[in-house]
Amino acid sequence: MAQVIINRLKKTFPPPTKDGDPVVAIGDISLEVEGNVFVSIVGPSGCGKSTLLNILSGVETPTSGTVSVTEGGRAAHLGYVFQDARLLPWRTVMDNMLYVRDDGDAGETKATRYLDMVGLSHTHDMFPGQLSGGMQQRVGIARAFSVEPDLLLMDEPFSHLDAITARSLRDHLQELWSATRKTVLFVTHDVVEAVQLSDRIIVLAPGGRIFDDISIDLPHPRRATDPKVATLQAEILGRFEEMHPAPATA
Amino acid sequence: MTDTVAESIQGDLGQANVLRTAAGARRRRYVLVVLGWLVFIGLWWLLALWVGSEARLPSPGRVFQEIVAILQEDFWAQFWASIVRVVAGFFAAVLIGTPVGLLMGRSKYWSNFLQSPVVVAGSIPGLTYAVMAFVVFGISFWGPVLAVGLIAMPYVAINVAEGVRGVDRRLVDMSTAYGRNERQVFRHVVIPSVLPFVFAGVRLSFSLAWKVGTLTEVFGSSKGIGFQIRRNYQLFNMPGVIAWVLLFVLFMLLIERFILVRLERRLFRWRQWERET
Repeated sequence: MAQVIINRLKKTFPPPTKDGDPVVAIGDISLEVEGNVFVSIVGPSGCGKSTLLNILSGVETPTSGTVSVTEGGRAAHLGYVFQDARLLPWRTVMDNMLYVRDDGDAGETKATRYLDMVGLSHTHDMFPGQLSGGMQQRVGIARAFSVEPDLLLMDEPFSHLDAITARSLRDHLQELWSATRKTVLFVTHDVVEAVQLSDRIIVLAPGGRIFDDISIDLPHPRRATDPKVATLQAEILGRFEEMHPAPATA
Repeated sequence: MTDTVAESIQGDLGQANVLRTAAGARRRRYVLVVLGWLVFIGLWWLLALWVGSEARLPSPGRVFQEIVAILQEDFWAQFWASIVRVVAGFFAAVLIGTPVGLLMGRSKYWSNFLQSPVVVAGSIPGLTYAVMAFVVFGISFWGPVLAVGLIAMPYVAINVAEGVRGVDRRLVDMSTAYGRNERQVFRHVVIPSVLPFVFAGVRLSFSLAWKVGTLTEVFGSSKGIGFQIRRNYQLFNMPGVIAWVLLFVLFMLLIERFILVRLERRLFRWRQWERET
């Protein structure tokens, strides 16, 4: 069970033009996530969702405030699924799976098992360029699960895929999650997707502040067509409209 | 997984089609290459008939006899002398050009500092290097090595710099997120991204290096292909000059086709699929 503590986090980027203002990605966020929960972070583009994950994973550093990601007192192991698959094109699928592990050949059994779970064990020796976008993304998901992370970060993993592939991958993800019960932070701009997958939804507003924190108490796995899910989706979409009375200008 | 089975079947069929058309395309290509050579030799033969003097423009048959004679004599010793120098010079170029390129690609400061010298070095005519190498070293092994190194280095440096600038930031971030250290990122992300650029630089400058290497041998050497061309010229042996030139061209083509291209294909096997997606 990973424990994520975010305390008064701020992140600004240098101005894009010489005499512009610095860009505020995250205004002021404090948040705690603990246990085997699936948490979605939802919000319109440019409200610092991806930046938040990048700070948690150490790719970027905060401007001020602190984050800690721990597991029983030590630093937690992370898995990260990106918007794009981010596989090394010069390594085979299996070598990509092994790249993020430190146990060399011994990890191959484990890597094979997770590759099998996303239905891609036959791609073992193929190069990423030989796979379709959806298959590459499944390898990315298998890679993240195969490191058996304490915390799994997912950054709009289905947004580049067509609706049908995305739907089947969501089902896949629910199966994998039910089997492993990792702590997940899942960034999306799709409220419908968030309601189907998560136990808790954090809604961010433009300017990088927490607008709402909603818990969803429905059993997993959930089908997108389940009426209860559909009702909740409508309700939460309604709250979204409150935040966004008019389409954003500028 | 029905969809994955379907995908793999489709993949197999696709591959079979690709193989069939690839074989046909290769056959057509060979036919065209041979035809090209035949037309060239035919034109040469007609021209030689028109000139009508073996001393000024020898016929293909006469040159062929000369080639056979050279091959039976000391071709390999001369060829070996030339290739050792070209390879040594090339090695020096990669050894110096790679770090220079890495610096240029990684920091703006070094890029500004090194940009003009590298560009200037790359635009100096090969003849200048050949003359300079002769002046510095006289008749020696090192003259051609220096000339080849100087002519090839800028190409290697500029290509490496381009490769470093092209490293995919997203893959570096992915590596950081998965706790890979800097050494691992360099080895598994930076080097594989830069390698195709290094190779392009090597292939681009290879023929140039050969030319400058031979040119330097014309002045400053007592063996090698360049020296043989000069010697035959001084003896007014036109068939000998042309035979050496042709052998030179032939071996450059062979090295290019059978060593560089194959090495490139093997090293960058993954790239053939990358273009399709």
